[in-house]
Amino acid sequence: MAEDLYSVLGVAKTANADGITKAYRRLAKKLHPDLNPGDAEAEEKFKQVSHAYSILNDEDKRAQYDRGEIDASGQERPQQQQQQYYRQYAGGPEGARYHSAAGYEDISDLFGDMFAREAAAGGRGGGRRYAMRGQDAQYRLDISFLDAVNGTKQRITLPDGGTLDVAIPPGVSEGQVLRLKGKGMPGMGEGPPGDALVEISVKSHPVFKREGNDITVELPITFDEAVLGGKIEVPTIVGRVSVTVPPGSNTGQTLRLKGRGVKSKGRAGDQMVRLNVMLPETIDDDLKSFAKKWREDHGYDPRRTLKEQA
Amino acid sequence: MLTEQDIVARIHHLTVTRLRVWVTQGYIKPATEAGQRFSEADLARAALICNLEDELGFAEDDVPVLLNLIDQIHGLRSELRGMVEAVDDLPPDVRTTVRLRIERGRQG
Repeated sequence: MAEDLYSVLGVAKTANADGITKAYRRLAKKLHPDLNPGDAEAEEKFKQVSHAYSILNDEDKRAQYDRGEIDASGQERPQQQQQQYYRQYAGGPEGARYHSAAGYEDISDLFGDMFAREAAAGGRGGGRRYAMRGQDAQYRLDISFLDAVNGTKQRITLPDGGTLDVAIPPGVSEGQVLRLKGKGMPGMGEGPPGDALVEISVKSHPVFKREGNDITVELPITFDEAVLGGKIEVPTIVGRVSVTVPPGSNTGQTLRLKGRGVKSKGRAGDQMVRLNVMLPETIDDDLKSFAKKWREDHGYDPRRTLKEQA
Repeated sequence: MLTEQDIVARIHHLTVTRLRVWVTQGYIKPATEAGQRFSEADLARAALICNLEDELGFAEDDVPVLLNLIDQIHGLRSELRGMVEAVDDLPPDVRTTVRLRIERGRQG
């Protein structure tokens, strides 16, 4: 027993003939087999729509259907179904005369779709041997900032209990997807297995920030270190190194540590050390009296250019 | 082969005048040796044009646009079929390489 004919056309039971024709045309334009060659689903829907229309468009038959004298499958096959569609010829030698000679450059999508359909039909066709590649499997892996910049090996436990070893290359970045060849679902027939796709998520680090292959670190220094300079220990992604801060260093200045950044694909980034001069937490009397005395003899104006420009 | 009369007789609502307009417009291209001779494909194509105009309510001006697109689709499908058949004749490992390459292309 078929579906209610009115709902097939998407109209109310009270719709007039005009409304039924409009609804039919709107659906038929979308579903017509010659406008959808190769789409079996559209063809099936088109048949239902045409059938519903053939009954509802006929005043007598519609009245019979409304009274329940004929059911939705109808008494007679509608004429539509005997029709030979043009597309049945279009692919043959006769239809070839009409083929448009337009050039198609980007056909990989269509070709791929068709390939998949041919492969899917293979079981019934016989004669042809099809090999289907297995599906790709998707995983997600959270790693620490330092593992991401330095690279590491991690083992993922799979839902089925198996494990997957993932070699994470140095310099992997947030959202990057690692493809492990052949580690996905098994293939069909001679088909190769799919790949495992591992999406990497990198946790942030309280000290290190990353911009491309460069690492940025903020380095607090004391007032006296800023004035006199000196050797100061700085954390890098591979451990602490000693850095010479020149005398007279100021907040906002950066020191570049060549080659101390992320080593990715043979090229190493730098580490940028941004200086931040910090006064002591409590200002004692010594410092106060020094500042007062110093100000009397050595006044300077750090806001000169600011005043000139604004 | 079919004559003009055969075509008109076999398609409901079709008149000789209409059919001749379509031939003049190039929508239908009958073989012309010894008068016009139509094939089964021409018959189905005439039925399609009738269907587009009468059943689906497309305007006459829409028909050449639709035919052009339909012809492009079939031209394209025919070329693709040729490619699929060519690929099918390749050794299995080469077929796999082609298929992987296509899938990679589809993932962008």
